[in-house]
Amino acid sequence: MKTTLKLITIFIIIVNSQNILHANDQNERLDKLTKNLRCLICQGQSVYDSQSDFALSVRDLIIKKIDDGDNDQEIYSYLKTKYGDWIMYEPQLGKNTILLWILPLILFIFGGLLIFRKAIIKLDKK
Amino acid sequence: MISELGHYSLVFVTIFSAIIILQSFKYVLSEQIVFKNNLYNLIFLQLFFIVVSFLCLLIAFLYSDFSNVTVYNNSHTSKPLFYKVSGVWGNHEGSLLLWLLVLILFLFLFILNSKKVDNKYKLLTVIFQEIIILGFLVFIIFTSNPFEYLFPVPNEGLGLNPILQDPALAIHPPILYLGYVGSSLIFSSSLAAVISNNVDSGWAKHIKKWVFISWIFLTLGIMLGSVWAYYELGWGGFWFWDPVENVSLMPWFCLTALLHSIVVLEKRNSLKNWTIILSIATFALSMSGTFLVRSGILNSIHTFANDPSRGLFILTFLFFLVVLAITILFIYFDKNETKSDNFFLISKESAVLVNNWFMMYFLSVVLIGTIYPIFLEVITNDKISVGAPFYHKLIVPFLIPFFIFMSFGPRLKWIKNSYKKINYKQILIFLITLLISFLIVHNSGVRYLFSIFLIAASIFLLISSFRDLFKKKIQFPQKISHLAFSILILSILINGIYSKEFNSNMRVGDQVKFMNKTITFKSINFYEEKNYRLLRGNFEINESGKNPLNFVPEIRIYNQPVISTSEADIKTTLLNDNFIVFSLLKEGEIFNVRYQYKPFMIWIWISVMVLAFGGTLAIIKK
Repeated sequence: MKTTLKLITIFIIIVNSQNILHANDQNERLDKLTKNLRCLICQGQSVYDSQSDFALSVRDLIIKKIDDGDNDQEIYSYLKTKYGDWIMYEPQLGKNTILLWILPLILFIFGGLLIFRKAIIKLDKK
Repeated sequence: MISELGHYSLVFVTIFSAIIILQSFKYVLSEQIVFKNNLYNLIFLQLFFIVVSFLCLLIAFLYSDFSNVTVYNNSHTSKPLFYKVSGVWGNHEGSLLLWLLVLILFLFLFILNSKKVDNKYKLLTVIFQEIIILGFLVFIIFTSNPFEYLFPVPNEGLGLNPILQDPALAIHPPILYLGYVGSSLIFSSSLAAVISNNVDSGWAKHIKKWVFISWIFLTLGIMLGSVWAYYELGWGGFWFWDPVENVSLMPWFCLTALLHSIVVLEKRNSLKNWTIILSIATFALSMSGTFLVRSGILNSIHTFANDPSRGLFILTFLFFLVVLAITILFIYFDKNETKSDNFFLISKESAVLVNNWFMMYFLSVVLIGTIYPIFLEVITNDKISVGAPFYHKLIVPFLIPFFIFMSFGPRLKWIKNSYKKINYKQILIFLITLLISFLIVHNSGVRYLFSIFLIAASIFLLISSFRDLFKKKIQFPQKISHLAFSILILSILINGIYSKEFNSNMRVGDQVKFMNKTITFKSINFYEEKNYRLLRGNFEINESGKNPLNFVPEIRIYNQPVISTSEADIKTTLLNDNFIVFSLLKEGEIFNVRYQYKPFMIWIWISVMVLAFGGTLAIIKK
């Protein structure tokens, strides 16, 4: 159990280490933010990809927020309260989405145990 | 007239379907189980009538017969011939007709190819396949008849969505359907094998061909969709984790797992129940793919025919088939399976199990990511999006162990391997790959420990697959496909790390510096084509010490229906793609210009084709 917890911790750290690096360039940061936002009036386009009025206004809003010195989380949560979770391509971990993130990992462990069990039973017989 | 012929042919197909099911039942129940020639004839006649029906729709499209509702809704006299033809399946009704044509064609080929197998098994396969065919026939005749009349007859049609007027997308649905329909045959045959107690290496050998055929078409079909997204959508990406892309990827994971486990069944006569479960799951996923695309439940760029009632029919039908399958499995389940075989911890068999394990994990990520938002919305009324970051975070880290396993798997023997000796050569190779990977990642500007290990694992896989080419004991098709897969992965990763893009608003005459390049917007021209007007931009990219590159991306404004699309201009070389696309802004004189530099793009397409080619070799070489 302990080892599993350790592995999960390491896994989470590795996955999140990608976020630690902050893009220095403001434009890069704008690109990064807008790529994770859905253009609500388009079909399957991000704010980054779209040239619609909605996307342009969101982009202006983010530029203003960056100038105000808000960090990424603050900008995201501002947009989320304004437009709802639907706008974020990356679902944030919460009580609604805990199963979404955990279920595949549980299935992975379960599958591993099945194979392990098969191997153990077969080896015992010999 | 032509529509009537098409319609009545469909009715004939339905009658034949019912007759074939009844006849086969009679034969199965008779004491001496025989497969009489009249069944061949009936299936051949059924094939004949479905071909007639399909040809009728094709002719209606070619001659723009607007008394037919389907033609009226989806065609236009000014449309080029090629798209008149592809328009036949570029809509819901016609695509279902094509689906039926392929279902019946595959059954016919299957029967021709199964002269030597057990009669009971063959008859049961026919019954199950005909039940599926009958279900779709009822569906098409009552909810989506492609031959409905329109009166008074209009002079002009509504036209095909221009975004669908693309060569890759014209052949994408039929290819994908061949893959999906192949899985229905695997489904029918596996249920028949379970009932007739035939699940053994003989059956595996017989059905393996069809597993490969479905897999090849599914692989190519997914690739064509991706090629279309890359060239036509104009965003420069080739995979968006869009729900409709996901529903084609899910059966692919399942089928890839099946492709490996069926070999274990053939060679070792084990994994019987698991193989059957995979067969059923592949089919269920293919079918629900159709349902999800048609239903409009998914929010997607690809959804071009929305009607919830149709979705409900397919869902109910699928539910019936899955319940039938589970009942059959439950009754005839082989409980004695585990006793009969030998299992070695380090063997090809366990390597295949590990492959299946990872495939099922990737499948579960994509499945949960795709359907979770639907359920959440129904239950809590909260709308969430599950996009690329979710899939990347859950899939990419698992690729590292997956690549390492895949590097060793093919070298293991079916039975016992010695595993005590430490292989210094492998460790040395891995250290070298780590070094190469460090250099690659270091130069790109992204410096994460994680990327280094990921690239290292994929280079290690590439080296291992390359070295395997010279090993005699591994099957040649497998070597080719594994090598292609490793090239695919490496191309995708390097493409992801090294892609550079630039996005700006420009006027004619503007010049912008990006990286060490200068991009000039030289001029713009207007043209008139048969079914659209177009704006052609002229761009030049100058890089010191290299010849200037000229780009002519287009903005097309179609007349029927009025939609504007952006056509990217892409300069492809073996090393990279340079991609320019531009679009209209409201102000009129200013355009949004996007330039992208995408390394190894062509290798993504080449490697997928080689991957599928490997599968083709496996069928030819028996």
